[in-house]
Amino acid sequence: MKGNMDIRGLLLANSENSGVAAAAPLATLDVAGKSTLQRMAERLQQYGISQVSAVVEDAPSVDLRNFGLPSDVACVSAAPDRFWRTAENAFNEMAQSGAELVVLVRLGAYVEADLEKFVQFHIDRGGRVTQLASGGRKLEVFCISASRRNDAASLFRTQLSHCRIECPVHQDQGYLNPLAGPRDLRQFAIDILTRQTQTCPAGKETKPGVWVAPGARVEKGARVLAPAFVGPMARIRAGAVITRCSSIERNTEVDCGTVVENSTVLPFSYVGAGLDLAHSVAGMGRIVNLYRDVDVEIVDPKLIASVAVASSKRFLASAADVLTYLPRMAWQGLFSSAKAPQPDLRETLRQTSPALGNAAGFETSACDTEASHKFPNMVVARRYGHQ
Amino acid sequence: MDINSRPVVVKRMPERLNSRTAREFLRDVRPFLAADRPQVVFDLSLVAQIDAAGVEMLLRCMSEAHKRDGDVKLASLSDQAAVVLELTRTERLFEIYETSTEAARSFSGFLPNAMRQQLLHNKRSTQSIAA
Repeated sequence: MKGNMDIRGLLLANSENSGVAAAAPLATLDVAGKSTLQRMAERLQQYGISQVSAVVEDAPSVDLRNFGLPSDVACVSAAPDRFWRTAENAFNEMAQSGAELVVLVRLGAYVEADLEKFVQFHIDRGGRVTQLASGGRKLEVFCISASRRNDAASLFRTQLSHCRIECPVHQDQGYLNPLAGPRDLRQFAIDILTRQTQTCPAGKETKPGVWVAPGARVEKGARVLAPAFVGPMARIRAGAVITRCSSIERNTEVDCGTVVENSTVLPFSYVGAGLDLAHSVAGMGRIVNLYRDVDVEIVDPKLIASVAVASSKRFLASAADVLTYLPRMAWQGLFSSAKAPQPDLRETLRQTSPALGNAAGFETSACDTEASHKFPNMVVARRYGHQ
Repeated sequence: MDINSRPVVVKRMPERLNSRTAREFLRDVRPFLAADRPQVVFDLSLVAQIDAAGVEMLLRCMSEAHKRDGDVKLASLSDQAAVVLELTRTERLFEIYETSTEAARSFSGFLPNAMRQQLLHNKRSTQSIAA
């Protein structure tokens, strides 16, 4: 880009706009295999901005190793109260080391702007700071002349809300997702999986509309229906169904018989057996149900739980699981009743989640109607009270 | 004529429904469930936390009520309860109402018609005796 000019990129990610989990900046959460931060870093590099730095706010659940940023992207973490000071320092370092222009992107919104046109607009106008806008809305994306440190300082000190000079605005018509909350995060996954964006799911397309990342395990009997994404090291256990633009992110486990429909399961999460996760963003011990527009905490690890981020802890847990497998099987063989027959559709519909323990075998009386005996293939579902 | 003099018991569920509180709650409601054709409404408006043990308890109550030809209905579900019931596929097993009043009323929803039928039957039988 721009032949001889030294143009650099500075990415900022903090949790001020985050709604899904105050514990982590939204831009650091994976969507279809990559975080927004990673996607934006790669986009800057695609436009020839080879020197990219990122400043990410410290958060308990954030592990820098998990952003998956390219190795040549310098990443600095900063405490929430030092975030803007660190960002300003990163900008100053770039200016001192010879940068002429800095493309500053705060995530925030994910935008697929034509950065070449944006930079050209800035150069043509001879401005000090140029702002990007899309759909009539100003974005926190700036092109700053590195020599204008005071203008940049005024931006950083007002958290990008105000510049001491009037900034020309460049309009762009590219894809835009405000990524202001879980609903936008979910929409972003849908847009990626339905190819509304230029960015793609981070995996191999094993069949049309189904992307599976390296290391993912889809057990026999599990079904992944297009469009869907299964992230690296994720495990989809037998009988599970992943469907309707669902995105199962890295190191997650979807246990047996669970149906994930139009949902995102965040990285390092466990979804219990026999559940029905629909229209939701789940993970970090929470479920954001987009249909009901509620964010609820799930305390029961049998339903939704977090998986250890550290690989050593995960290894120990797996080792313990393997070591106790034979004793568990022996115990079950000795004390449980005869082997359960293969369940049929009616039987399966009668059952509630196995996560409920003894009540899992509860049978709804609505299935035991006289008609159901006459017509063995008919399934009678009990209606809701308000219907 | 005394049709449906059986009471409808409305019970408000505790804020946290874990294995301990679920056990306590079950102990409290068991006498009502042990009655003949129990009619019980659980008000879940206060429930802020519910786990698998809580859902299991609800199913147990329903099972007990069905054994005695009764029913358990749910009312005023909090967001937390609604999400967990949906997640565990149990919301389809219960009749769910917006308010406890609606749920309680639903137990006697068929009564005017039943009463009419019975009155009609009584009238016919007296006419036939007179004839």
